[in-house]
Amino acid sequence: MSQDLTYEQALEKLDEQLKLLEDGNLSLEAALKAVDDARVYLKICTERLEAARKKIEVRGESEATTE
Amino acid sequence: MLKPEEAQRPYTVTELANEIRRELRPLTALLLKGEVSGMKQGTRGHYSFAIRDGQSLINAFIYADDARRVTTLPEDGQVFIFRGRVDYWTQYGTIRFVADQVEFDEVGKLRARLEELKRRLEAQGAFAQERKRKLPFLPRSVAILTSPTGAVIHDLQETIWERYPNMGIVVYPVQVQGASAPMSVARALGRCNEERLADVIVLARGGGSFEEMYAFNTELVARAILDSRLPVVTALGHTSDRTVADLVGDAECRTPTEAGARVVPRKADLIAHLRERGRRVDREIAQRVSREVERLSHKRQRVLQLLPAMVRQRAERIARAASELLRLSPIAQVARREEALRDRTRRVESAAAARLSNSSSALASRRAESRLERALAERFAGATRALGHREQRIVALSPDGVLARGYSITQDAETGSVLRSANDTHVERRVRIRLGSGQIGARVDEVEP
Repeated sequence: MSQDLTYEQALEKLDEQLKLLEDGNLSLEAALKAVDDARVYLKICTERLEAARKKIEVRGESEATTE
Repeated sequence: MLKPEEAQRPYTVTELANEIRRELRPLTALLLKGEVSGMKQGTRGHYSFAIRDGQSLINAFIYADDARRVTTLPEDGQVFIFRGRVDYWTQYGTIRFVADQVEFDEVGKLRARLEELKRRLEAQGAFAQERKRKLPFLPRSVAILTSPTGAVIHDLQETIWERYPNMGIVVYPVQVQGASAPMSVARALGRCNEERLADVIVLARGGGSFEEMYAFNTELVARAILDSRLPVVTALGHTSDRTVADLVGDAECRTPTEAGARVVPRKADLIAHLRERGRRVDREIAQRVSREVERLSHKRQRVLQLLPAMVRQRAERIARAASELLRLSPIAQVARREEALRDRTRRVESAAAARLSNSSSALASRRAESRLERALAERFAGATRALGHREQRIVALSPDGVLARGYSITQDAETGSVLRSANDTHVERRVRIRLGSGQIGARVDEVEP
């Protein structure tokens, strides 16, 4: 389910987890879970960003070849 | 001096008148030939008129009884042979020829019959202009109906060949004079139409007196001409009146030369006309072509004038589309999204943000695409940095930091609860052990409280 997130959504979730961690009121379990979740969202963000970069690069190339 | 007894006793008028009558009595049962004029019908059915020749005139009279018996009543201008006597009207002192019989003389008879025929044919529309057949413009061959001997045929051939050297001529020899002439002419006309060797017929004769031309005034010949499918041109000479053949024919000429010119065009003229027309056609075509060339060059010029504008228009449209595309493109959309990310990046990393904004403003002066691409690259970098920063924060905030020093945290694999005591788990339970770097999935083997 987390794989369906958009970059913004994932980033938002990431920030949420970071805020939870920064507030420092978490139990150890919750903190560990927040860290795990944050890592997942970070991964999604990185993937999305990478995918977008690739998409844009491909586009630029195909534009160049058609001209 | 006459003595009174010797003196002649004078006639009384009546005595003299009777004497004259008696003297004229031998002039009875005589034939008189002359032309009629001043024909008048009297109230009691008699006719009075004058009979004359070139020099003299005598008054004439037909009693009503005789007028009823005569076969032909004389008409003015006609020549007749009258039978009758000369009488002296004692009452009026005039001499008259009293006719009791009226006959045409030979020519007069023919002429009268001819007039009658003309009237009949005219009534039937035989002379009507609209009935006449059109002569062919250029016949394949010309049929000549004439006497095989004589100048006519020679003149006709001469004229035709002079005008059109290789024109076909078919000669149908006919009797043009005498009792058998009408039948001969009629039969030849029939043959022409059957054989169809020619496209036009010339009926020719070298003129002649009224009697000599008789054949061309017969109904037989007139009907044969009327029945012909081929047009008939008459050339019967100029010495007599128009014949019936002339009247019913399709074109009337006087001489063979005239007829030849009528039926055959002059070849040299035709060739000259064709040349002239050829020249006109050439001229026309040349003008037409040059007009078209001019029109085309106008159009070409217009195209040449319009072309830059058209290209410019299109280029502008493409440029507009490109910028629109850029605005709408995933690049731009990503860029917008990256904007949000950059805000966060600024918040977290102000120095980097300041640098980024500096470079952004520097880039702003460059062209849109490259600016966009650069900005984009920057933003990707920024985003990547931002994500890196977050990762560091995760690391910093996570209890994992402790683990780096050699500690580990064990959690229940199902519930995720941290095991703080051996009692928190039992044998065969799956656990997750978090290490300084990475995790280990394990199964509890032994529990020692």
